[in-house]
Amino acid sequence: MRAARTAYPLKWRIMDTLEGVAAAIWPARFRRATPYLMLLPAVLLVGLLVLGLIQIADASLRTLDTTTFQFSDNYSIANFRRALTEPLFLVVAQRSLIAALIVTTVTLVFAFPYAYLMVRTRSPGLRKFLLIALFLPFFIGQVVRAYGWLIILGNQGMVNEALGLVGVAPMRLIYNYPAVLFGLVQYMLPFAVLMLAPALTAIPEELEAAAGSLGASWVRTFIHVVLPLARPGFIGAGVVVLTLSLTDFAVPAILGGGSQDFIANAIYDQFFRTSDQGLGATLALMLVALGSILVGLVFALFGAGTLAMGRSRA
Amino acid sequence: MSGSRSKSVVLWTLVTIALVTLSAPTVVVLGASFTGGNIITFPPDGLSLRWYARISQASDLRNAFLRTLQVATVCTIVAIPVGTLAGIALAKYAVRFEKTIQIYLLLPFTIPLIGSGIGLMLIFGNAGILGQLWPVGIACCVINLPFMIWAVTASATGLDPDLELAAANCGAPPLQVFFSVTLPAVMPGVITGSLLMFILALNEFLVSLLLVDARIVTLPVLIYNSIRSIITPDLAAISVVFIACSAVAVFLLDRLVGLDIFLKSK
Repeated sequence: MRAARTAYPLKWRIMDTLEGVAAAIWPARFRRATPYLMLLPAVLLVGLLVLGLIQIADASLRTLDTTTFQFSDNYSIANFRRALTEPLFLVVAQRSLIAALIVTTVTLVFAFPYAYLMVRTRSPGLRKFLLIALFLPFFIGQVVRAYGWLIILGNQGMVNEALGLVGVAPMRLIYNYPAVLFGLVQYMLPFAVLMLAPALTAIPEELEAAAGSLGASWVRTFIHVVLPLARPGFIGAGVVVLTLSLTDFAVPAILGGGSQDFIANAIYDQFFRTSDQGLGATLALMLVALGSILVGLVFALFGAGTLAMGRSRA
Repeated sequence: MSGSRSKSVVLWTLVTIALVTLSAPTVVVLGASFTGGNIITFPPDGLSLRWYARISQASDLRNAFLRTLQVATVCTIVAIPVGTLAGIALAKYAVRFEKTIQIYLLLPFTIPLIGSGIGLMLIFGNAGILGQLWPVGIACCVINLPFMIWAVTASATGLDPDLELAAANCGAPPLQVFFSVTLPAVMPGVITGSLLMFILALNEFLVSLLLVDARIVTLPVLIYNSIRSIITPDLAAISVVFIACSAVAVFLLDRLVGLDIFLKSK
């Protein structure tokens, strides 16, 4: 008996105990519920965001009394009226939306050839190089990247110093709208390429060869074969870039220098500069709604593309 | 790749522009960190390591970096079990309301970061836990969780359910099936996911900015605050820490699972 016990390894005994405990608290007849149990922690964790949204909704309905700096106990929609009527917020919203559309278009134009070359190249070395050049900036935060642009484009930055050497007067290259757009495109490129690449991999190369052998030029092959088949990738990439650039904070703050605020910057200012939590919460809620409507619209029109999670992927 | 000359000219032109745009900030920050002068100039004022010596002595920078590491660690430790279980559940089982659950679990991506950050700031404030580091880690975990779930589902869809049935048929109880068959099969996804979670938490800026106060600033927030006042080469030197972390993460990702995994069609 004793010999048999020592022959039974410790690991087995631990596993047996664990199996016993697991069977006691989660008997086999609960098996059908197991996937829900596995999903529970994630659902609870994401629940924090839902709670947060409820808090924001609550705060958005309370107005700030500017004489006492107290928030009202009763609800009113005064904040929403202010958010919709004050011209400043309209300007900011317009600026962010137009920027998001421009950034999405430009990013997709550059991301597509990058993803295409990366997927189609025959050289493993080139593929690896393109992947590394993509991931390195992807893993470096926005702040550091924006700081790099400040060094390059700043008033005493590299470009202006170089121009100075050939006798050109310094130009103002940052703290304007194009600088913010440029910074955003750079930030979004890796996201877009990574969403496009799987969709391009799914397109058999023979299709392109077939189109070519039937006499289509590469431009026609792209327009009629590659681009339509890459649609799930364009949807995924487009949605991600559109929402991320619409709601960005760091790039407008650093490269816009306070003159090019986006919606997120306006919300931050309401909370931390003006201390009007109610109005800030209202703006945040409207941004959440705007983002969801945009995402919902794209999904309803085109499906979830490469963004789908789980089994139901084609 | 098949195609004409004009095709490769057009492709390469666009890709070159993208490559330069992607790499320029990194290269410039690296270069600026080795400058010998007191300000960043072009052409540089000689080479030196003095700014590295300077930052290694600055305790505020070192502490901020340690705090950032702590946040990223909390984020990853929470994300691994939560994301792995959810990912396996979504990939393997026919779950009721699957669509709804999927949409719900994508909320961290669909809610703008500023909204998530302010919501979490309000509830953490009500709970009286603002001003500590672990809630920042939890927050980073919530907002990036879909990355973890994605990574796991992507590798779990390649797992043949018959393998698990075979193990069970041979007498393996549920936990043993999970640890000996299911988990090893999704391991590439777990590794990819946890690396992503760690590096994204390390770099997370906006949510940190909303959740930290002056006593517990994380490094990205510290850099942001310093950029607003004055641009000096020590900032470049400290930014190189992030570049180094990114390089390590890329190397690990390539070694452990291969970067090509991101090119696979789902």
